[in-house]
Amino acid sequence: MLDPTRQLIDQILLEIAIASFAAGTLVLLGYLLTRTLAFKRLGSVLAVLGGVTAFAELGTRWWMTGIWPLTNLYGSLSLFAAMGVLIFCVFAFKYDLWFAGSGVLAIAAIALAYGTDWNEGYMPAVPALQSYWIKIHVPLVISAYATFMVAFAIAILYIIKDTIERNYGSRTVRARAAGLGVDVSLAQPAASAFVTTEFGIKRVDTPNLEAAAARGDSLALWLMGLPSLSKLDILTYRIVAVGLPLLSIGIITGAMWAKEAWGAYWQWDPKETAALASWIVYALYMHLHTRNGWRGIRCAWINVAGFASIVFCYLGVNIWISGLHSYKV
Amino acid sequence: MTTIAAEKPGKGNAVRGTVADLLNLLSDFWFGMLLLAIWGVMTIIGVIVDQQKDPTVYFTSYPAPLARLVLRLHLDNIYHSPAYVGMIGLIVSTMTFATFRSVIPRRMPALRPVKIDVMPLHAFVSIPGDEPSVRERIAAYFASHGWTIRKREFGGDEWTFVDKHNWARRGVLVAHVGFIVIAIGTTMYWARGYSGTTAIISGDSATIPQNGTTIKLNSFGYRIDPIRTKAGTTYQPIDYVSQVTVTPKDGKPYDAVIRVNHPLDVNGTLYYQSTYGFAIAFTLTKDGKPLPVSPAQPLREGEAFQVDGTHAIQYAQFIGTIDRKTGGAGTDPRPNDPGVVINAFEGDQLLGRSMIPLGSSLDLGDGYRLAANRYVLYSGFQYRHDPGIPIVGIGAFVLVAGLCISFYFLPARLYVRTAAEPDGTVRVGIAATTVKGYDIYEERFAELVNALRRTPAPA
Repeated sequence: MLDPTRQLIDQILLEIAIASFAAGTLVLLGYLLTRTLAFKRLGSVLAVLGGVTAFAELGTRWWMTGIWPLTNLYGSLSLFAAMGVLIFCVFAFKYDLWFAGSGVLAIAAIALAYGTDWNEGYMPAVPALQSYWIKIHVPLVISAYATFMVAFAIAILYIIKDTIERNYGSRTVRARAAGLGVDVSLAQPAASAFVTTEFGIKRVDTPNLEAAAARGDSLALWLMGLPSLSKLDILTYRIVAVGLPLLSIGIITGAMWAKEAWGAYWQWDPKETAALASWIVYALYMHLHTRNGWRGIRCAWINVAGFASIVFCYLGVNIWISGLHSYKV
Repeated sequence: MTTIAAEKPGKGNAVRGTVADLLNLLSDFWFGMLLLAIWGVMTIIGVIVDQQKDPTVYFTSYPAPLARLVLRLHLDNIYHSPAYVGMIGLIVSTMTFATFRSVIPRRMPALRPVKIDVMPLHAFVSIPGDEPSVRERIAAYFASHGWTIRKREFGGDEWTFVDKHNWARRGVLVAHVGFIVIAIGTTMYWARGYSGTTAIISGDSATIPQNGTTIKLNSFGYRIDPIRTKAGTTYQPIDYVSQVTVTPKDGKPYDAVIRVNHPLDVNGTLYYQSTYGFAIAFTLTKDGKPLPVSPAQPLREGEAFQVDGTHAIQYAQFIGTIDRKTGGAGTDPRPNDPGVVINAFEGDQLLGRSMIPLGSSLDLGDGYRLAANRYVLYSGFQYRHDPGIPIVGIGAFVLVAGLCISFYFLPARLYVRTAAEPDGTVRVGIAATTVKGYDIYEERFAELVNALRRTPAPA
């Protein structure tokens, strides 16, 4: 029988975490749209509060049951939400990424709330999970998933800004073409503008948005308030550079555990191979990012594909495909 | 007049040309990326398509054309298919050739002068003083901040090449080497390793054919607890333990315990607790007399015995607790009120299926009765000898080290050239390149230039 006081504390912490994430989503969405500093400050407080209470709730669950909480999907989704917000906050404080906070907190809120659906009660771990590796392997892979989630949020912002920039560019082309009486299909896309600064020659990556903002276009003005496309691209790269080693070490520790539990470090279990497929996607991303022509929008889309593979690996395999990792009650 | 002798097209030249083309292909970055993408797609296919199932399963699960496609393309065992293995081999090959033929040369550029004013990252700084002393001050500044300084003269002009984290340019090489070492380790298992399974009934022993080790199962214990969940009561396995006596080939017997997550190591072969089950002792009688066809040993699930030339009885399933209300299987897997389900066959044709409570018998007609007498626990073990594991472990460590070096260190090179100005200052031109493009270094370059501008003038 679980201690009712601890159960109450657990419930309160869970509700605070979900509420903080949900409120933080709205507040940081307000910051994204209006750039009001008060929203940013409040949003950062809510993000930190939500993250801290989410971790505290996990700790309370462990304290309450004596069972390591990461033995099922409820526990891992809780950690995913908490780690996602923690990793986001680290990057946000370092690189001022709060404009992306609404997306991250929304995903965290949904993950945590969805995770409660998988709360079947407190069950001791099956023999295969009774290992010290569960305290190493599971947090590592969940941390990797959470990191890729943050990278995905930044990549989405990149795609939005780039798409609107291209849209403004094609409008400019069509307007010029109409003025010249020229068939649009023959018109060339606007050339990228370069400016010379005191530190070199820099490509202006959103010349059409800049021109529109100069004319007072409100959408362009808002988008110009986001970091430049090159900065968004670099941020995404830096975040993936954290996630890929985490995923690598997570896969390796999983293999070490599999050797002890199942007799072989690799058995082509759906979870193992889905994780490998995700690793391949992000390895492709890192390789292609070394090429000038592939940095930017193409790598952003690869990031989106990578996160889709992570979602499939994390949830799709656990829920839809049976295998050695299916510990669903 | 110089006569140029035409080169005769010979077999040797054609072969050399083909080899050169092949090496160029294997070194090509885009070819490698294509292979990586195909490998990813093949891996995903293996996740989505059930692997290593009976062909009938695919016809049941998928539309017939898709099932035929799966079987024809060997997608039912894709990870062990020649295409998949060959793909990994190709990736390892391209990785090797690309690393040495193109990655390293690109990442270790020769010291050459550049046109500073056309480099994306460049700046000009005016520093008072004479040229030699300004050069020395700049070199001293960079050296004091951990940069490596090298000076070269080109066409009478002295250039200073300033590098940081030059060693980290080899990070990609390290990561690729790690991958190759992993591949070698896994190949060692295929070449020299072995694995298998064995199930031993309590009190019995089994000898592992590959190494001659004998394992006697003294006893098997398990624990299953009822747990109240929101969905109702569920029965959770808590522990499985096998108490064994191990006799290595040419060795002395000793007692040991095998449990999940605690494999037993016998001379480099690991034995794992894999499964367990209930073996049943059956007796077939006719008119009350036991028949010689009755199995001499208890049967495990799935095993069958022949009654006569065409008829067979199969032990299909163990029921831990019979639901006396429905007469079927209860939810409790513990043998509180056990029974067994048997299938009767005539040839391949299933004649019927029935459940026999343990300790009772089933009338088969014509005076035949089948008794399910008692159960005996058996323990299922997996064993594996993999000499490649240490190699795989080293490879994994090297791979991760290579990733960290590649991702977290930014090798940068500065090209510095000085020119004396008429006003007594020295114009210092600086250009920067990195292995990860220019954008990523923009802010740091600006800080560096500003720091140089603040360098105090000579007294």
